[in-house]
Formats: sequence, structure tokens, C-alpha cells
Amino acid sequence: MYKTVVIDAAKCTGCRACENYCSLKHEGVCAPSRGRIHVVKWEQQGIFVPVSCMRCQEPACELVCPKCATRRDFATGAMTVDANRCIGCLSCVFACPFGATFLDQETGKILKCDLCDGDPTCVKVCPTGALSFEEVSQETYLKLLENADRLPQLVREALGQGEPQGTTPAAPQEKQETQEAQEGQ
Amino acid sequence: MYGWTGKILRIDLSNRTSTTEPTESYIDKYLGGRGLGVRLIYENYKPGTDAFDPGNPLIFSTGPLTGTSMPGSGRVDVTALSPMSKLRAKSNFGAYWGPEVKFAGYDHVIIQGKADQPCYLWIKDDEVEIRDASHIWGKDTHETQKAIQQELGDPEVKVVCIGPAGEKLVRFACLITETGDAGGRTGMGAVMGSKNLKAVAVRGSGGVQIAHPQEFLEQAIQVVREMREHPAYQELSNWGTVRGVQMMYGMSFFPVGYFEDVCWDELLEKYPGTEYVKKFCVKNVGCFNCPNRCMNFLSVPGIGKGVTSCEPFSGFTGEVWNLDMDLFWEATLLVNKLGMDSSEAAACVGFLMELYHHGIITAQDTDGVAMDRGSREAILTTLTKIANREGLGDVLAEGQKAAAEKFGPKAVDKVDLVKGMAPHAYEFRAFKGTALMQAVGHRGDPLPLRGSLLEVDWHHAPEWFQQVAKEQFGDEEAAIPSSYKGKAMAAVISEHMERVPDSLGVCKWLYNLFIYQDVNIATRFFNLATGKDWDSAHLLKIGERVRNLERMFDVRQGLRRGDDSLPKKFFDVPLSKGPYKGAVLEREKFEQMKDEYYEIRGWDKETGIPTREKLVELGLEDVAEEVLKKDA
Repeated sequence: MYKTVVIDAAKCTGCRACENYCSLKHEGVCAPSRGRIHVVKWEQQGIFVPVSCMRCQEPACELVCPKCATRRDFATGAMTVDANRCIGCLSCVFACPFGATFLDQETGKILKCDLCDGDPTCVKVCPTGALSFEEVSQETYLKLLENADRLPQLVREALGQGEPQGTTPAAPQEKQETQEAQEGQ
Repeated sequence: MYGWTGKILRIDLSNRTSTTEPTESYIDKYLGGRGLGVRLIYENYKPGTDAFDPGNPLIFSTGPLTGTSMPGSGRVDVTALSPMSKLRAKSNFGAYWGPEVKFAGYDHVIIQGKADQPCYLWIKDDEVEIRDASHIWGKDTHETQKAIQQELGDPEVKVVCIGPAGEKLVRFACLITETGDAGGRTGMGAVMGSKNLKAVAVRGSGGVQIAHPQEFLEQAIQVVREMREHPAYQELSNWGTVRGVQMMYGMSFFPVGYFEDVCWDELLEKYPGTEYVKKFCVKNVGCFNCPNRCMNFLSVPGIGKGVTSCEPFSGFTGEVWNLDMDLFWEATLLVNKLGMDSSEAAACVGFLMELYHHGIITAQDTDGVAMDRGSREAILTTLTKIANREGLGDVLAEGQKAAAEKFGPKAVDKVDLVKGMAPHAYEFRAFKGTALMQAVGHRGDPLPLRGSLLEVDWHHAPEWFQQVAKEQFGDEEAAIPSSYKGKAMAAVISEHMERVPDSLGVCKWLYNLFIYQDVNIATRFFNLATGKDWDSAHLLKIGERVRNLERMFDVRQGLRRGDDSLPKKFFDVPLSKGPYKGAVLEREKFEQMKDEYYEIRGWDKETGIPTREKLVELGLEDVAEEVLKKDA
């Protein structure tokens, strides 16, 4: 059974540790712009949305690639880019509906989450559990749906177009539990 | 280079030029961040230059670890000549701006000269542009950041800016980035305003090179794990500082009013901060790459959104006799948007309230507003008037001393300042080591230091923390608040420790005060990042060199032993109640602590000036040559 990174934007505090550790792990340099995950921030609204590969069932990046450089790694479920085949046309960058396929400005290489071969660094360092690594199951699927549903509302709110989040902020006790739950993993 | 980017960016607003110079020759002696910043201000500031003169350089300093994956790597230090103290200014802020400067390729940014009309700087990697800011001049700090991001078409541009207070040269105007991260103290916003500079916008596409990336990554993940286990982490990340503030009031560490009272019963019984945070905190947030979330992001309908931490929680409650948290939040957002130091602004209001309370001034002296304790009108109108320099605000904008002089000798007698600035709002009568650190500190406000927090920690487990004090500072009594013993050594060691994270560009809360209480972890990160092989003692020695150079800058400005003092209230008026009822500073013992401090430091006891031998030992011969020859 695959595991996948579940993103809960409501918990994100925008610290960008995920971007920075990702870059250190993969590129050996602390450069958030070269991370394979990215946090979109509306800091004046306190709204932060991490964006990374969703490992779609029918990945646009794979379909659109003229050289079949983007393929699924069936060991982890991650979408990978074969640098030897990639011709740098950026089709996958533009095709991704989440904007989650990135370009390394320094090298021209495509940056795509590879799940760190099944042990994602970003999840280890995310302080609030906004990123978690879970078995793909019915339950996870529902969680993904719920998080996806929440996104447009967060964005509307960030742009000042919607009602504020209906959710009452989590009381500190609950936050603590979340943290413990996450550490338990 | 690893860690450092290797470049110092120098911008002259008068000539509209920008150049770069190498960092490398400085790092062995001054490390980076605050330490290297001190050397830069020492070399670039010409004695006699006024704080508002174009010749006063404004210097931003990141450290070798700023922007790395080391938790808490978001810090940047700021210096110039302070328009408040006329000494070296020092301010430090977090959030996301400092790392972005590193990613753009710079360790330090020196801004000199003065633009002939309002402008802002746009630093995008190698490109530096001076852009017109006439259309954003007058906007508050939140609007300014938004307007610049929109104009540049990139919401990820990081902006540090001034508000109306900085434009109007309010002497304690501050720098603001994001919603409330401030380069708060010593008037850096006013210096920026005097240059007609509204903001510095940065975007970098690069990164920080790491000498041993694999080990660095493992170390960082390990430290994140350790931090999560720490009680201080859990408190800060779940609550921010609000419950700590309540505790500080309980132990008489925080004063009430203008150092007038302690243990205000009403405040102790129903300090409303915690409930308020519970109700209106959307989430806790922190700085770049930091797992700690020590700031509350509050969203209060009808008032607004933003972050807050520590000082406003006491500044706009106890210090101004206020228990209405809506008022606290309005005042906090107001100073952040206007771009004013909340500590100094709260002290201004507290000062007026004390004068009014004692009948030294009437409503006539304050433009018809009665300065009743805790009054909503008094607090909010005073803050707005200062920022806009209206009425009495025009005088207060020059500082409390100027206002006191206007009101007459009785008011002058009441004013509580250390080196021209509001002291940190701690109760110095009961906490002797804290008093010493405040008095000798380089800007009149170096707190908190490790030795000072130890006096607070002591209440939780006296014997344990006395043992800690013995190990760390060589004397058990260094932890006991009421003792004068061992405090000088605690001050000296704490000062060296503090300069290490400040010079590395990381958060001293994590690597000095609350999580790790020494510099060993920071040293390990430093070596892995830069490829150096220096031990903690080496870094602490740099801390000592930096401390001495800071002192010499101030000595060059005329600072002497007599300036290392505290307001006389702390020696004359004992505490009236609370656990430290009757506590007061004994002048003789206080001066003895100072003697001891100078002696350990290798400074002349009569004058408070570092001796030539000390400076030579630290490799500061050139400084000794320049500054001491006048006194020889």
C-alpha cells in the first residue's frame, strides 16, 4: 500500500521549513526556492497554503511529457522525473493543475516531490502536523477531499472575498494533542 | 563560501550607487551578524555625525547561519547611530526578511546618504534599484508592504519598512516587517526616515551553501525533535508568551505603571490576556524555518489581524493600568502600523499617567485629554499624536526627557531613563543581577540575558537553579534574585553568550535563553555549515571582542561609568507590596557590583573604559590607538 503526504493548510504557520529542508536534502544547499514543496502565503491574513505534488491518479505531468521523462515510481507511488530524458520544455510545469511542479532556476532542472524514497523530510520537520505521511486508505482519501474543499475558501478569505473561516480556532489543548499525535507517528 | 555569502552590499542614496565588497576579511574576528555589524558601524560612522545626518550609516547584518535549515535561522541585526541614545543603536528582528537578503546574495547591507525624495530599495539578486516611493509615503506599515508587493508583481517579495512615525522622524520609530515583527528599539525607523527611505524590498533566488550538508541536515532534524520535547517549546508554541507574562506579574518581575507599583491585585486576579488569546488566536506563528511559534496571530473582529509577542502584552496592560484586552490589541496594532517602538511608546503613556496621577500635569498640559490611568482615550490619542507629531505628540516624539523638560523640574525628577531610553520594563529593585545587566548594558536595554532569566527561573526550583548558577557562572548566589553576589560574573558570561547567536544570525531565545542554555549546539551548527573547526570558547572570545568594541564605540561617543546607572527611583523608593515587599537597590552594593564587573572585564573602574591591555589582548589595537589616545 502506498503512503502519501497529506497537506492540511489550516494548520500551516508558513515557516517554510519544508522548503528549506527539502532543498538541503535534495540539492545540498539551503535555498527555499529550490525546494520541491512551496508555501503560498498571505501573511497579513494568517493564511498559508503548502503546495506540493499530489501524485494524481491520472497525472497531467505524465500525460503531457513528450519524452516520457515523468513516470510513477511504483515502489513509493511518487512521480519522478528522469533527468536524462527531460528536455526542459516545461510542459509539466504548466500542465500541473496545482502549480506543484517546479523549475530549478539555477540548473533548469524540474523539481518534483519524490517522497524522499518513502521517508519525507518535510513531514519530519513540519512543526504543526500540516504535513503528515499516511497510508492511502478510504480515510486518507476523505481527509484529502476535506482539505481540498477547504482550500478555495481559504483563498477567498485571503483575498478578502469570503466570510472568515467558520471554524473556531483550535483551543491550545487541542493543538497540543495534534502535536502529540504527530509525534506518535 | 559556505555559510556566508561573502558579499557586503553598500548603497549610497545620495549618489544613487551600489557597490559590493568582500565579507571574508572580517569573519575571523567578528563572525557575522551583530558582531560584524559592530565593526562596520565603527568603521563607517564618523564621530560627530548627527543621527539624522545622511552620513549616519544604517546597517543590516545577517549571520553565517541566517537562512539555513538550523531551526530559528530568521534573524537579522540592525545598527546605526541611535537618535535616542546618541550611542550605537541595536535592534534585531526575525520573520522572513533576513533570510531573503542571504538568498539574494548578501551578508550585510549598508545604506548611506539621503535620497532627494521618498524612495524605496528593490534588491533582486544582483540588481539593486532605487524606486520612487512618493505614492506610498504616508501609508502604514501593512499597506506599504502590500503596495510594494503589488507594484513589483510578486507577493513573495519581503519588505521591511517604516510607517508614518519613521517618516516624521519620531526618535523611537521602528522597522516593521510582516504584520508585527519589529526592529523595535533605538529608533532605526527614524534613521531610515531621515534618508527618505520608506522600505527595503528583497527577493533572492539563491541559497546558503553548506559545507557538510548531510550532517547539517541530520543535526537539524535531531534538534527539531529535541525542541519538541522541551517544556518551553510547548508553552511558547501553544500559548506564545501570554501565560509567561502573567507569571512574571505574579513574581514581581514585571512592574505595574511607570515602575510605580507591583502586584496590582486586580491584574493578578484577572489578567485577561490568556482568555483573550484563547478566544481570538487563529494560530500561533513563528519566524523563518523555526518550529517554535512564539507569536499569537490574533484576529479580532472590528479591530484587525496581526501577530504579537512578549512586550506589548505587558506594555499595553500593566504598564498603562489597563485590563481591557480590546484596548491592548488596538494599541498594539496601532503602534505596529504607525511603526513605533511599543516599549518606548507604552513608557511615554505610562509617564504621562504618573505625572497626571501625582498632579504634576493636568489635562491642559496634554491637549485637553485627561491622562487617567488605563484610560482608552489617553492611550490611543497619545500614540496617534506621537506618530503624527501633533500637539504634545511633537514633544514626546523627541523622547520622554524632552517632554519632562517641558513640564518642569518635578517631571524631570520623575522620568525613568537608562542611556536616554526607556529601560526594559523589569522590576530592578528585587532582581539585583538584572539591575546590573540593565545598567552596564550597551544600549540601556540588553535584556533578557541568561543570567537575568536565571533569577526568574530560581522561583520554580531554588536549589536546582542555584546549582545551575554554580556550574554556569561559578556562584550559587548568582541565581538568587536578592543577592548581590556572583552577579558581575553572571553578567559578563551572559553578555558573551548573547553575542554568539546574535552574530550567527539565529534566535537567542532558542540558543541562549529558553531551549538550549549554552552555545554548544549553535557552535556545532556553525562548524557544519561553514566547514570551520572552532570550539565554543572561540566563539565566546569573539563575543568578548564584540562586547569591547561596542563599548569602545560608545566611549568614543563620550560614554563613561556614570552612564551605567539606573533611575534613582530604584534606589529611593522600596517596593510597597508583593513577594519582594521592601526591596530596593542599595547604592553602595550596586556600585560594588559594577566595580566587580569592570574588574572582570578588564576595564578601568574609575571611567568604565576598557584598558589598553584588554583591547590589545582582544586584537583591537587600532581601536585602542584611535579612541584611547585622547584620554591618555
